[in-house]
Amino acid sequence: MTTVFRRSLFASTAVGLLAGPALAQELTVWAWDPNFNGAAMEAAAAAYQEAGHPDFVLDYQEFAREEIEQKLQTQLAAGTMDGLPDIVLIEDYSAQKFLLSFPGAFQPLTDVIDYSGFADYKVALATVDGETYSMPFDSGVTGLFYRSDLIEQAGFTAEDMQDLTWDRFIEIGEAVTEATGTPMISLDIDDPGLFVVMLQSTGSWFFNEDGSLNIEGNEDFRAALADYQQILQSDMWKPVNSWAEYQASLAGDVASTVTGVWITGTIKAAEMPGQWAVAPIPRVEEAANGTNYSNLGGSSWYVLNSSDDKELVYDFLNTVWGSDVDFYQDILVGQGAVGSLLAAREGDAYQTSDDYFGGQPVWQDFSSWLGQVPAVDYGIFTYEVRSAIASNLPALADGGDLDEAIGNIAAEAAVLTQ
Amino acid sequence: MAQTRLGRNENAAGWAFVMPALALIGLFMIYPILWSLWMSFQTGRGMNTTFGGFGNIQRLFADPIFLTALGNTLIFLAIQVPIMIMLALVFAVMLNNPRLKGRGLFRTAIFLPAVTSLVAYSILFKSIFSNEGLATQVVAFFGGPQIAWLAEPFWAKVVIILAITWRWTGYNMIFYLAALQNIDRSIYEAARIDGVPARAQFFRITIPMLKPVILFTTIISTIGTLQLFDEVQNITQGGPSNATLTLSQYIYNLTFRFMPSFGYAATVSYVIVVLVAVLSTVQFWVARDRR
Amino acid sequence: MTDVAATEIDREAARPTSRAAVRPPRGPDRDRIGPVVTYVVLSLAAFLSVFPFFWMVVGTTNTSFDIVRGKSWFGDQLLVNIRNLAEQVDLPRVLFNSFYIAIISTVATLLVSSLAGYAFEIFRHKWRERIFAALLLMLSIPFAALMVPLFVMMAGAGLINTYAAIILPTVANIFVIFYFRQATKAFPHELRDAAKIDGLKEWQIFLRVYMPVMRSTYAAATIIVFTLTWNNYLWPLIVLQTNDMKTMVLTISSLNSAYTPDFGVIMVATVITTLPTLVIFFLLQRLFVQGMLGSVK
Repeated sequence: MTTVFRRSLFASTAVGLLAGPALAQELTVWAWDPNFNGAAMEAAAAAYQEAGHPDFVLDYQEFAREEIEQKLQTQLAAGTMDGLPDIVLIEDYSAQKFLLSFPGAFQPLTDVIDYSGFADYKVALATVDGETYSMPFDSGVTGLFYRSDLIEQAGFTAEDMQDLTWDRFIEIGEAVTEATGTPMISLDIDDPGLFVVMLQSTGSWFFNEDGSLNIEGNEDFRAALADYQQILQSDMWKPVNSWAEYQASLAGDVASTVTGVWITGTIKAAEMPGQWAVAPIPRVEEAANGTNYSNLGGSSWYVLNSSDDKELVYDFLNTVWGSDVDFYQDILVGQGAVGSLLAAREGDAYQTSDDYFGGQPVWQDFSSWLGQVPAVDYGIFTYEVRSAIASNLPALADGGDLDEAIGNIAAEAAVLTQ
Repeated sequence: MAQTRLGRNENAAGWAFVMPALALIGLFMIYPILWSLWMSFQTGRGMNTTFGGFGNIQRLFADPIFLTALGNTLIFLAIQVPIMIMLALVFAVMLNNPRLKGRGLFRTAIFLPAVTSLVAYSILFKSIFSNEGLATQVVAFFGGPQIAWLAEPFWAKVVIILAITWRWTGYNMIFYLAALQNIDRSIYEAARIDGVPARAQFFRITIPMLKPVILFTTIISTIGTLQLFDEVQNITQGGPSNATLTLSQYIYNLTFRFMPSFGYAATVSYVIVVLVAVLSTVQFWVARDRR
Repeated sequence: MTDVAATEIDREAARPTSRAAVRPPRGPDRDRIGPVVTYVVLSLAAFLSVFPFFWMVVGTTNTSFDIVRGKSWFGDQLLVNIRNLAEQVDLPRVLFNSFYIAIISTVATLLVSSLAGYAFEIFRHKWRERIFAALLLMLSIPFAALMVPLFVMMAGAGLINTYAAIILPTVANIFVIFYFRQATKAFPHELRDAAKIDGLKEWQIFLRVYMPVMRSTYAAATIIVFTLTWNNYLWPLIVLQTNDMKTMVLTISSLNSAYTPDFGVIMVATVITTLPTLVIFFLLQRLFVQGMLGSVK
């Protein structure tokens, strides 16, 4: 493989100028999913080794996502960076919180990475005061993954699953649940992820531009929550208690799920080829700018300021993550990771159709939906507001008053974001 | 002269023996708790804090999540501790019967949960009470309804209470068992001859004789429950919808999960200190000798 | 003496039957709970206490899927689960960390805290009761209140991600000091007086007389402290930063909160985590019961 030549001009220049006597060619990286972002990082290390850096060693350390955030937060708050890695994966929802709470902890990469080659919204998420801090990684563009066989059994076609509203989705869902005995979706009542997806699809978010709460009086928020309450009150969902149970439910217990593209690996792990298909998600009809596109999760790599070999970090990031289109094809096929490098979307893997999804060109679909995801500013308090929402969902499921719930959410969120 | 020198030597030895412990306690408890007290008057995000007076205390009373966590913690306390103490007492009295066959076996079996790691047993309980897990199947087998144990606020609390009771009943029982063996059996003999029924013996002899131990275990259990963290963190993560969120967990969230709010977290932690102090005083008062 | 005791037991054993023959066992002076009830209650309690252990062992032989679905009989996945665990976790390293921390903590805690407990009981000083009362008051301080300042202190001392950071704050354990003070009430003062006449210094008395005499107290404290430190969760979770410093308990917690938790693997890790405390308990069990007896007089 002549990956050397695929190195970006910028990176080679940087290396040419800065290549000193190479010391330890080792970088420590923290990530949380051994089959997804961890595996992608290991694939990147392999690609870098092949690109003329045989001595490069990646020390991949795996922690749960919450553990990573906790460790970062503890250390940075205590004013030390002793045990921190060179590169850390941070979920997009938390990016602003870390960047704003701990100025100086992360290395700005504005002068190192050519951000024009990446999806705009990913860049915006990691930008504070004109400096951008991330190497954008995966997108959480959402889709409606459904069991084509069960939908058909209930008398619906692939056509029926396109351009849905949530009202129509619930109608279909109840029909499917009744006809097949398989619930339409599985929900963890403690995880408002689906609601978050619905809200972003309207182009609205929890906060105003100035960072103040935008919950009470937010018509989009109300419309999305009204649809979500309808789902909660329907008979088409199966409760799950944890992420593990949710994942397990996809292996035959439910007829569909609405979530980020990163779930593809899990769905394929169920080994039900030809029985799945993907459509754009339903839209919130009452919202002024309701779309069928949204995002859930997604994350990026950040460089800690304490890293003692930043040149190596820059070269590694630029060589592989910043320009290696083939690498992006590999992690798409291998890990189902939809990267944020625009050029990569022209690669072969993105064009292929997938037999698992009945020959649908799923990656192409996701790529085109990705361009239509309404961009929102996640702000610094996403998890606080999510927590406030979660604590009011059971009341909504029991038929509680929508506006009262919104008032409670706003009150709790106000305290948490104080 | 010899007397005073001896006294001085003893004094020196006494201080020398106590010093390592006192120094460590001073460094790792007193100093941080005072620091924490100072922090509880600071407001702000992350490390950027300023003196906020009683702002954090005002925030407490307007904070629905704090009130939820406080309520949950007190519910766990009010329901779990009495159940556990009663069960432990009953088991201890039963096991104290010298004619009972297999005492050692029963005692060991009931104590066994106390050696498990909190995290390990929490995960065991989580798997037993998973949606289609063993507990659901057992209930279904006996014709009970389908219960989403960890998805319904009420049942999630029940699971946490069951879990703590499982872990700590045997532990408390051992204290009572040890204390019971120190009670002179002739007291019971005399009571029996006087025609005092078993139940009355339990309430009029056993409980009063065990009062110091019961008080001690009640206070230790109260402190433990007020600090409850490992179990909820590993079984429910505080959910569903904060139905099992405890004060310690809220402090953890305020410090490590949310935008760090160290001052406010310190204020919440002082709520636990105050609660323990108040409840211990009440328990001492209730258990005082009424003469 | 023995004969008297034997007669006593015989008499007691004989009584219920003879009385039952005289009148129904419903009389107001029924002196104990019916034996059937006792056996049923204790058997049920013992079963419920032991069942999760059985569940844990069964779980090691099943797939994650089967465990979540409540399969409660042995499967054939044991080797697969062990292999998966060994692949995901550096077991020797993690076990070393756990043992190292637990053993050093236990030895240090027993030494420092028993020394203090002993001294509080033996030596009289006008401040004694006041200091002791202050210590008991401090039992009520929740760890959550100390967590952040402690972390900042450890960071300042450059001790983040070290064994010392885990061990140091646990060494002076107020509960253990209290426990030893209670137990020392039963320590015969004549022994100390005799040792002093023999010319032993205070520390020699402690090491050569007190410690051997109180070995059952130490055994009970060993079980309690070892279990406590082996199972310590929140503080190591905060202070230990890298995977090569992780303990078994942290490993289980990570496996549990992993993106796709595998309960089969977790069960194997749980068994490994539980074994050492079980073994110590069974080894010291006899002494443990004696030690507990001494503490609650």
